Amino acid sequence: MPWQPLSPGLAGERLCSTEEATAGSGTYTRHGFIFSSLAGCLERRSEDSGLPVVSVVRDSESQLLPNVGAVVTCKVCSINSRFAKVHILYVGSTPLKSTFRGTIRREDIRATEKDKVEVYKSFRPSDIVLAKVISLGDAQSNYLLSTAENELGVVVARSEADGAHQLV
Amino acid sequence: MPLDHRRLCGPEESQPPSLWAALAAEDEDEEGAGAAPRDPCSLRPLFARAGLLSQAQGSAYVELGSGTKVLCAAWGPREAAEPGPGRLLCEFRRAPFAGRGARGRPGGLAEREAEREAAAALREALEPAVRLGRYPRARLAVSALLLQDGGSALAAAVSAAALALADAGVEMYDLAVGCALCRPPAATAAAWMLQPAEPEERRAAARLTLALLPALNQVSAVLGGGQGGPPEDWAQALRLGLDGCHRQYPVLRQSLLRAAQRRDAAAAATAAAASVA
Repeated sequence: MPWQPLSPGLAGERLCSTEEATAGSGTYTRHGFIFSSLAGCLERRSEDSGLPVVSVVRDSESQLLPNVGAVVTCKVCSINSRFAKVHILYVGSTPLKSTFRGTIRREDIRATEKDKVEVYKSFRPSDIVLAKVISLGDAQSNYLLSTAENELGVVVARSEADGAHQLV
Repeated sequence: MPLDHRRLCGPEESQPPSLWAALAAEDEDEEGAGAAPRDPCSLRPLFARAGLLSQAQGSAYVELGSGTKVLCAAWGPREAAEPGPGRLLCEFRRAPFAGRGARGRPGGLAEREAEREAAAALREALEPAVRLGRYPRARLAVSALLLQDGGSALAAAVSAAALALADAGVEMYDLAVGCALCRPPAATAAAWMLQPAEPEERRAAARLTLALLPALNQVSAVLGGGQGGPPEDWAQALRLGLDGCHRQYPVLRQSLLRAAQRRDAAAAATAAAASVA
């Protein structure tokens, strides 16, 4: 699907009407027109099925927030017998400018045999973990993460013996 | 004579302060009496530049012809503790050298109250413009610093804050443009004036600040008060203010465009340098 970058768009600029295209990321629709909501480059992607998708892209994707269902890379900062607290560093493959805090509960570490899990045996502080966001959390807790899938879990860890090698 | 370290010594020569006091008094008289009655619908020249600070994710500087200078910085979404849609935190500070004449009580309660009120007004004007629903559980921070007050400070701060947020890449419905009006006391010709200068604002009987989202044609904040006259006068003042906002909008958009071009050029230059090195 070819895309051509057009002139830089501005926030609030009226791009086109909803009959000509569908709104993509960085845009919103109102009164039957598509407006841009970011100050960036306009992209017009032509989809084979249906109308072309219009979206506005900024070079630095710094406004990414961990959404529900996103796979994030995080670093364990402290562990407890009930959960592990982590710092979320990357969302997908884009680094975050400010770290968010997350929690991996004991029952979310594994999909099977959840009551026999021991947090001390699964994680250690300064492990790099791939996890999935399951909830944005309520007033007291931070982002809730889960590693209960085959591709998720500890990716890089430091070995206890010398502290210099990294097991992957 | 050995140096006296216990006291702060003044300069060798000193002159009486009355020399300088006379000059200041002359300036004020000239301004008040000699100023030709200006066209009430004329806008002062506006200078806006986005993307100047490297410490903040987005920044903007707005300068009005009457001497008002506002510098604003914005930071993108950071983690917040409360659930629900994102929050906008605004801060408005006056530099100690911003106003003419002596400050009443530096750092006193009145100044802090005024700053807090201005911050609340800024938040009221900006909140409808930002797509907070796209940033759940995040907080966006905006900080405005008034470097010199030449009248219509809050309006300039609204425009600068909207520019800074757009420069930071925060998703917005539209740029919020601010415009101030004032009405001189009833003795003289009582017509509403756009973008008053500082002496006019001090002597005004009624002041009004408007914030408008021009592309959507929605007013986001109306602040002010005073003795204005019948309600039709206020309606006419609103219309004048909206017109002023619409006229300022192209200048602000142009500054955003230029900032985007500068950013692209800088990114291309660093990419070229990195590939060479």
